[in-house]
Amino acid sequence: MSDTAAAHEAPTSTGIEHKKLIMWLFLASDCMFFGTLISTHLLYRKLFPAGFTDAEGHQRFIQNLFNIELTSFSTFILLMSSFLMALAVSAMHKGQIKSFRRNVLGVIFFGLIFLGCQVYEFTHFYHEGLTIQNSVLGSTFYVLTGTHGTHVAIGILWLIMMYFYSFTGKLGGHVGALDVEIAGLYWHFVDIVWIIIFTAVYLVEYLGPNGIWGTGLPAVAQ
Amino acid sequence: MSHDSHHAPVACKTELAPERSDLGLIRPDRTTGWLDWLTTVDHKKIGILYGAFAMFYFLVGGVEALAIRTQLARPDNDFVTARMYNQLFTMHGTTMIFLGVMPLSAAFFNFLVPLQIGARDVAFPRLNAFSLWTFVFGAFVLNASWFFEFAHLAGWFNSFEWHKALVYTDFAPANGWFSYAPLSGTFGQNGQALRFTGVGTDFWIIGIQVLGIASLAASFNFICTIINMRAKGMTMMRLPVFTWMTLITAVLIILAFPAITVALIELMFDRTFGANFFNPSAGGQPVLWQHLFWIFGHPEVYILVLPAMGIVSEVLPTFSGKSLFGYPIIVFSGAVIGFLGFAVWSHHMFTTGLGPVPTAAFSLLTMAIAVPTGVKIFNWLGTIWGGRIRFTPPMVLALGFIWMFMCGGFSGVMHSAAPADSQQQDSYFVIAHFHYVLLGGVLLGLMAGLYFWFPKIFGRMPNAPIAYIASGLVILGFNVAFGPMHYLGLAGQPRRTHTYHAGNGWEQWNYVATIGAYILGIGVALAFVNLVWTAFRGKKCSNDPWDGRTLEWSLPSPVPEYNFAQAPIVATRDAFFEDKHGSKRIGSEPDGGEAGVHMPSQSWMPLVASAGFLFIGFGMPMMAMGVPHAGWMVIGGLGVLFLGIWLWALEGPGGYMLKTPAASGTPVPTETAAR
Repeated sequence: MSDTAAAHEAPTSTGIEHKKLIMWLFLASDCMFFGTLISTHLLYRKLFPAGFTDAEGHQRFIQNLFNIELTSFSTFILLMSSFLMALAVSAMHKGQIKSFRRNVLGVIFFGLIFLGCQVYEFTHFYHEGLTIQNSVLGSTFYVLTGTHGTHVAIGILWLIMMYFYSFTGKLGGHVGALDVEIAGLYWHFVDIVWIIIFTAVYLVEYLGPNGIWGTGLPAVAQ
Repeated sequence: MSHDSHHAPVACKTELAPERSDLGLIRPDRTTGWLDWLTTVDHKKIGILYGAFAMFYFLVGGVEALAIRTQLARPDNDFVTARMYNQLFTMHGTTMIFLGVMPLSAAFFNFLVPLQIGARDVAFPRLNAFSLWTFVFGAFVLNASWFFEFAHLAGWFNSFEWHKALVYTDFAPANGWFSYAPLSGTFGQNGQALRFTGVGTDFWIIGIQVLGIASLAASFNFICTIINMRAKGMTMMRLPVFTWMTLITAVLIILAFPAITVALIELMFDRTFGANFFNPSAGGQPVLWQHLFWIFGHPEVYILVLPAMGIVSEVLPTFSGKSLFGYPIIVFSGAVIGFLGFAVWSHHMFTTGLGPVPTAAFSLLTMAIAVPTGVKIFNWLGTIWGGRIRFTPPMVLALGFIWMFMCGGFSGVMHSAAPADSQQQDSYFVIAHFHYVLLGGVLLGLMAGLYFWFPKIFGRMPNAPIAYIASGLVILGFNVAFGPMHYLGLAGQPRRTHTYHAGNGWEQWNYVATIGAYILGIGVALAFVNLVWTAFRGKKCSNDPWDGRTLEWSLPSPVPEYNFAQAPIVATRDAFFEDKHGSKRIGSEPDGGEAGVHMPSQSWMPLVASAGFLFIGFGMPMMAMGVPHAGWMVIGGLGVLFLGIWLWALEGPGGYMLKTPAASGTPVPTETAAR
């Protein structure tokens, strides 16, 4: 979290700082990473639209499991955290360190709410009978959303460290603003990925009476 | 965070007071000895370390190959058991690809790219060191599986409870380099996670995962370096072709490795935590593994071959005395190969029953990829056409590359026809094909590169007669070993089978192939002995012994740690060559004068962070073995990784100002020595 060698030296060939460029490259790579995970989930949803069988042997459908109101709430919170992140970056560019701290605390707080919702959701689903071991759906769902949660957790850790680092007085100027901006890129990316996951994993299950995948069964009462 | 005291110009770094991080930790500052090699952030030293490890693993993989060929020399042979044979061919493939070819390419990337673009280092010197050490520890974890295997065979584990509970005891990976599910995965309901294979697969999973992190980190760094650190006037279309191929390779790596990363995570969850991604008893689709693996695996083929193509594109013009024929189209073809490389993965899976439309589409795309490859071949031929050819060792190897790679390409086009492919699938014909591409292509290209740039790296010239003999043995042995396999494959000999019965008509050519393999082994060993000898004791040579064309030849050999005393400004492609033999094409930026040039400080932190992977790498398979408390080792490893990165961030890049000879009054050598 400090300047690169080139910062005191010649400007880069493209005019984009090394650190910002490498973050964009990492995000490009991460797109393929989440793309693979999301594809895995969707492929298996198409193959096994019927959901899963819980410990008592009951056939369960995913719409009965999901609590779309809660997930919409946590999605909204994560979106708002991105808004605060943008404010924090802007504050840093203007050199308003106090405003930066306030906003970044907000991002951290909202991120923690999102993670809390995810923890609640995981525990709830587990008690309802969806485990990583009892179905392909459980495996793909927990690993996909869990990986996203890990990304959020890493982002929160990063921002917490940046928050405390700002009190040493070394987070400032052009370099400090750049570091915050890069953290912001990461945070916005994680947010965008969640929008895709929220659409592809949650919302499409509510398209039409039986979700986009159908039930895979002849018409049954759900 | 800048350390002002370290920005005073010095001729020797040890003149400075020790540099401290915010936490009071002293940064290493030795420029010689093992401490220097462990903490260096100099791209040239990192490149040399990559090369040394890669050559070592080439020999390891070679010994595994010779064991395989010895077993197959005679029908119904029992030189190794079937179980050992599975481990040998798996580790041979994995070692050659991930620990031999990729790191040797990385050695060239590291050493050459900054020199060719006129930069003083890569964009992130410490990240570069992190890539190196992560590769080293990943390779160590993967190969440590052999020690577990030998300990098991010697019976050292027999008294342990966890050992008695193991059903399968192959401790080295035994699934083939692609580890197809369901063999590598699990079966059984509700998280029973019954396995088909032993702990070797877990070593393979974590080993490849760690190596993938190393490749990804290095690739981010190199793309950044090439795009962002070019000297003034070095536009993208003036980049040397090797640098271009590095850029394309790095882009392929960052887009292809996430697929295998996810596949490995899923497989790891299956085996360790009882998930069902590839578990057929719970509805998992093993064919998904094949798709994910080859979405990575086919670009991987181009990740292996494009650097060699880049090397050949540097060697041929130099020894033909001509500029590269059709530079823009060679660069464009490389990019097209990289792009199409993502659209042909299913040609590895024609026999899985994709259906007629996908099969036809992937067939066509596979045929299409032969076009840019053929364009390159014709451009190389155009380059040597009418040139004043000097048959130096690198040139001999580069010409061998064209010829052998073409043979591999021809059998490759045969595979693209799906009906033919379904006959050739899993036969020795496939082995023949990809060894012509990977050995005849990649190995010859990389050896050409070694002989070409060794004088620059060490300032010493390899012994030419031995180099010719070694090159001849490699090309001869390789053809004797793999030529007959075309016939054996079409005659029906299956891959990955530890022996065959007499009477199939395979005995004679298997015997010949084994003789060829030994000739090849002797050739490679001789070449490596020659090179290692050169590094330490070889005859000193001038700075530009080949009459080179690119910027690295303008520098003294060995290259000083700051590379360019004055940053160059180039006015054309092949600027150094034109500057030597004609009008002035290279200028230079004013040097730092009394301020000197900025150098990054050394650091322990990349090594510390990478060491975390060592604990994770041993902890994960031991967890799968059922060794008690092994999970804590994984958590400890994550802790070390986090600690390393945290201290890394806090210490900052540091840096000091080094006075170059030009600034301190000594003239920088500019002579371009005798041809």
